Amino acid sequence: MNIKEYISSGIIESYVLGLATQQESQEFEKLSAQYPEIAAARNEFELALEQELTSSTVTVSGHIKQNIVQKIFSPVEDTEMAREVSMETKPGSNFIWKWLVAASFILLVGTAFWAVNTSRNAKRLEKERVALLQQLSRTESELNAMKQEAAIMQKPDVKMASMNNASNPMVYATIYWDTTSKDVYLMVNNLPKPASDKQYQLWALLDNKPIDLGMIEARQDKLLYRMKNVQQAEAFAITLEPKGGSSTPTTTPVVLSKL
Amino acid sequence: MTYGEQELIASLRHKDEQAFSYLYDHYSGTLYGVICQIVENTELGNDVLQEAFINIWRHIDSYDETKGRLFTWMLNIARNAAIDKIRSKGNKQTQRQVAIPNNDSLPLSVSPRLDDFGLKKIILKLKDEQRQLIDLSYFQGFTHEQIAKALDIPLGTVKTRIRSALTQLRSLLS
Repeated sequence: MNIKEYISSGIIESYVLGLATQQESQEFEKLSAQYPEIAAARNEFELALEQELTSSTVTVSGHIKQNIVQKIFSPVEDTEMAREVSMETKPGSNFIWKWLVAASFILLVGTAFWAVNTSRNAKRLEKERVALLQQLSRTESELNAMKQEAAIMQKPDVKMASMNNASNPMVYATIYWDTTSKDVYLMVNNLPKPASDKQYQLWALLDNKPIDLGMIEARQDKLLYRMKNVQQAEAFAITLEPKGGSSTPTTTPVVLSKL
Repeated sequence: MTYGEQELIASLRHKDEQAFSYLYDHYSGTLYGVICQIVENTELGNDVLQEAFINIWRHIDSYDETKGRLFTWMLNIARNAAIDKIRSKGNKQTQRQVAIPNNDSLPLSVSPRLDDFGLKKIILKLKDEQRQLIDLSYFQGFTHEQIAKALDIPLGTVKTRIRSALTQLRSLLS
């Protein structure tokens, strides 16, 4: 930059007399710290101004000094005067306005941030609420199903028969047979998981003949499986059959019961 | 007792009462003159002078000698206090806010006595237009934007003209 031009641009006078904008003042202070010529030119103008102004005075009445000294050196603080003043201050009340504008802006930004944040939180909470509602309705329907199943088991006409494995007492299932409606329900207490191409099939035995009561869909969340109705039965059995089932059992029963 | 400027500043920073007394005795008359030229009323000037010196005393720690001379700093405090005063004075301010007087009717001052010293005396030697701009910006405290609006001149032009008026003013000083 051209220092000479800058010096003669009027910026020095503008700065010293307090007419420069804050931005101009900051730039000037930076440059005068950097270039001694600028600082020297400033000092020269300051001296000329000081000389001119101090050459004439207006007489001040004597009580003013007393007032000031009293205010300054008395222990009671005069808060009314506690205003910030410096060379950088812009003329007049503009200074206050700038601060007010700055403060309002900060407030605005703060409010906006708060609003965005709150709305984000609200969206998140709404999502969680919907998820919880769904979870609740799932749980409710599961519970209702279990209540119905429990009701079936407690009906007076329902006969219960447990089907056991000959060698492993941990492998068993339970039959609930409603002797009035002839409905058959199966509870799979513990059966080994079949191979992917095999499926369990339930049979009723009457006169040593097997009657197909349907395939067992292995589902963990179900307590009771509704099977085919049967009018009469002497025993129940479950065999492991190829997927889709067989017309007569092809293997020995995994579990077997007597009514 | 007399002080060099460095010594005076150091003593003021130590809240030395004698140093303050010296400062007041040396500069109150000059600052009072500048203040009265702005507020155009010696009674108001008394109040402003008190405020100015109290501010000088309270804020001496914020004075930075690398940025300028002590007198310049005090002059700006006094001028700011005076302009604050005319801005807060309802009667005078409303008039000033409503309309900046045009060239023909520009009153330089209420009292002629307040014109014949200091910067007011010097700007009398400037061209009317330049004098008006310095009066509006320095003595009445209007921002460049306010002047541009009131005189209906582009902001850039106001800035250029004020700068050139100030360099003119400077040449009249030395």
